[in-house]
Amino acid sequence: MLRGVLGKTFRLVGYTVQYGCIAHCAFEYVGGVVMCSGPSMEPTIQNSDIVFAENLTRHFYGIQRGDIVIAKSPSDPKSNICKRVIGLEGDKILSNSPSDFFKSHSYVPTGHVWLEGDNLQNSTDSRYYGPVPYGLIRGRIFFKIWPLSDFGFLRDSPNGHRFSDD
Amino acid sequence: MAHSQGWVKRYLKAFCKGFFVAVPVAVTFLDRVACVARVEGASMQPSLNPGGSQSSDVVLLNHWKVRNFEVQRGDIVSLVSPKNPEQKIIKRVIALEGDIVKTIGHKNRYVKVPRGHIWVEGDHHGHSFDSNSFGPQNCIQLPRGCLEREKTCNSLPSSSLLHLELQL
Repeated sequence: MLRGVLGKTFRLVGYTVQYGCIAHCAFEYVGGVVMCSGPSMEPTIQNSDIVFAENLTRHFYGIQRGDIVIAKSPSDPKSNICKRVIGLEGDKILSNSPSDFFKSHSYVPTGHVWLEGDNLQNSTDSRYYGPVPYGLIRGRIFFKIWPLSDFGFLRDSPNGHRFSDD
Repeated sequence: MAHSQGWVKRYLKAFCKGFFVAVPVAVTFLDRVACVARVEGASMQPSLNPGGSQSSDVVLLNHWKVRNFEVQRGDIVSLVSPKNPEQKIIKRVIALEGDIVKTIGHKNRYVKVPRGHIWVEGDHHGHSFDSNSFGPQNCIQLPRGCLEREKTCNSLPSSSLLHLELQL
């Protein structure tokens, strides 16, 4: 009787460990479903949207300008941020107030990217905390699952004029 | 003929079952619990690689200890290089967030470590690409691992580097 119960428990633990490891490998190396919160990526991604993120591009260092990425927050390693890549290493980033007489610019250092939310008025991003190291990027968002009215691939940036690769 | 085909099928089935159990478990273990790495370079002498290019130390990276991103001053950690995301570097944690560091060779004499960042340095000053070159580093990208905690605390680097905690 006891041996039967013990056997069943071990089998259960074994299956849990096995499926847990498969889940870890899938989320870490392939991709997963993510729920986004916050207004900083409107109108592309609204609050409480569910999107699909893939991690293969990050592992092969294929992140491009215009990709929406999930990254670890530079000020809090336990939380994630979801922003769009505006500049890669070496790109020139213009200052964010077009009313400045002297337009100042800075260059993105090697190994870093410049992130900005689509909702420029309401987004804490690289304009606030500076360029983000590439190693903090966790995955790339490319497909929206929920709400169903917005199902499909994600739109391009509404702030297209922000990209400057000269 | 049918007998040998049945044998091959059974073998393949057992192989696939074993494969899909062993590979995820091994990968998860190496990512989350611990893995082994070889140390190259002289930036952590004399703690690591004291023999120079003759022999490379092999160390155990303990991922489990940093699963909540908690490191202590004096720990040796491995982190993704901020200059090149494909490379990992091994340095010692000198200061945590909120500490003020007196730097060697950095553009600011005193630096306050921002929230979510830590300050790392190699033990071999002058031969080390560390926070004196690239500033405080983000805690997350940092602790990929944490090695041999016991041997770190008694051998903090030279007296030219001190960290102050100001209660404002």
